[in-house]
Amino acid sequence: MAQPRFWSGQAIGIAALVAGALVWEIGAQFANPAFVAPFSTTAARMWEYAASGTLTDALASSLAIYVSGMAYAIVVGVGLGLLLARARLLRIGLESYIMILYSTPMVALIPFILSMMGFGFAPKVLVVFLFAVFSVLYNTLEGARSLKPELLEVARSFRSSEYAVWRDILVPYTLPFAMTGIRQGIGRGLVGLVSAEFFLSGSGIGLLIIRSGQDFDVPGLYGAIMVITILGVALMAIGRTLENRFAAWRGLS
Amino acid sequence: MSMAMDQRAPAHETAKAPQGERAPARIRARGLGKRYGALQVFRDIDFEVGEREIVAIVGPSGCGKTTLLRCINGLIPLDAGEIVANGERVTQPIAGMAMVFQHFGLFPWKTVTANVAYGLRMAGATRAEIAEKVPYFINLVGLAGFEHAYPYQMSGGMQQRCGLARALAIEPNVLLMDEPFAAVDAQTREILQFELLRIWSERPTAMVFVTHSIEEAVLMGHRVMVLKGRPSSIFEMVDIDLPFPRNRSTLLHPRFAKLREHVWRCVMDEAQAAERELHV
Repeated sequence: MAQPRFWSGQAIGIAALVAGALVWEIGAQFANPAFVAPFSTTAARMWEYAASGTLTDALASSLAIYVSGMAYAIVVGVGLGLLLARARLLRIGLESYIMILYSTPMVALIPFILSMMGFGFAPKVLVVFLFAVFSVLYNTLEGARSLKPELLEVARSFRSSEYAVWRDILVPYTLPFAMTGIRQGIGRGLVGLVSAEFFLSGSGIGLLIIRSGQDFDVPGLYGAIMVITILGVALMAIGRTLENRFAAWRGLS
Repeated sequence: MSMAMDQRAPAHETAKAPQGERAPARIRARGLGKRYGALQVFRDIDFEVGEREIVAIVGPSGCGKTTLLRCINGLIPLDAGEIVANGERVTQPIAGMAMVFQHFGLFPWKTVTANVAYGLRMAGATRAEIAEKVPYFINLVGLAGFEHAYPYQMSGGMQQRCGLARALAIEPNVLLMDEPFAAVDAQTREILQFELLRIWSERPTAMVFVTHSIEEAVLMGHRVMVLKGRPSSIFEMVDIDLPFPRNRSTLLHPRFAKLREHVWRCVMDEAQAAERELHV
């Protein structure tokens, strides 16, 4: 039953994308080429970049920053989230700071980071980290805190050690919530990546976007933006797949 | 002392056997008292539970039955008195004791096998012991074929079978039952009561069975502890001189009806008084 509906759903989705590309292609013929490049030219420029290695170099440089920043965000966000869920006093102490930082637009911190750390690799990683970490932390913490106290009592009744509580209860229960945070963090981290590459030293895909803009290379500009978009869509899809996989026990997937 | 004992018929003398098994005591409780802030929940509670004895606890809701059971398990501290189980003073959960919870308390991310293995793992069982015992107890509670099912895929009755297997698997000599069948439907409840009696007769242990069902208390217990009053204390310890093994025909026993009526009166006196007060 589900299979035909799944495929017809996929078909409509793909048809909508093709239609969008067609509208873009045809619409661009009537627009000023100084601002708008048609789909075919954009795709051709991307192909050119890919063939010359410009695109792969930019991607590799951006991904190095992004993956490092996300790795720190996940480790710190999940670890601190779990710890704060278990350690009540620490949580009460840090809660207001987390809320403050979670609601601060991180872009505002970039000039500060620039003056502190300069133009290297590390400050960009820090920006990605700061953009992503609070989604991970907040979702992990709130998830872990929603664990029913009854289950912790069951653990106590069976004489579980603190280590066993983490391994058998806290971590497996919280993983789906942490994954939701990671999926949100993936998107925010990407914003952080492009911001860092714009406002700190230009590098990677961010530099490609800026340079294409300065050179009035409209197809190049569109192409670079599309690369970031495709990257975001792919990462989100991975995040959602992981999220569903860890939530299997909730009977949702 | 009680009406129930006065009316004991000679035909039921054989039923006294389980009481002979009461000594030596597995649990000794002396002068138990518990307060939540200004609210005294219970006080002056003394009782013993034999090695192979089932003591059922009934009482009006809010009388502290479950609180008492959690104290016996060492989950919450007492304010007065002491509990000694397995020769050890209970101040936190001790080895050899297992609880079956009203809310089942299964870990939703674990399969039946992993849930049943949990208590064993916490008790430090080896991999080989776990591999041997888990299937045995899954089979014992009638969950064969559901080894890889998750709790959300099972009915309430099956979930509680899993909770029971998890407790039985550590082969406790004290089994604590906290209204274990209160959250399942009536038919399932009956089935589970008789299954538990069957399992108990295969492996008799000390058992404390908290329930709000008077019928269930009389069916399961060698003795029924009636808790009441504010703060509550033991109103009466009723000997249930019905023969073992108990099964469906126990319910048809004329003695069963008499004992149920007696316990009902013990419990309800106060409930009726409270109701009268409301109407004044």
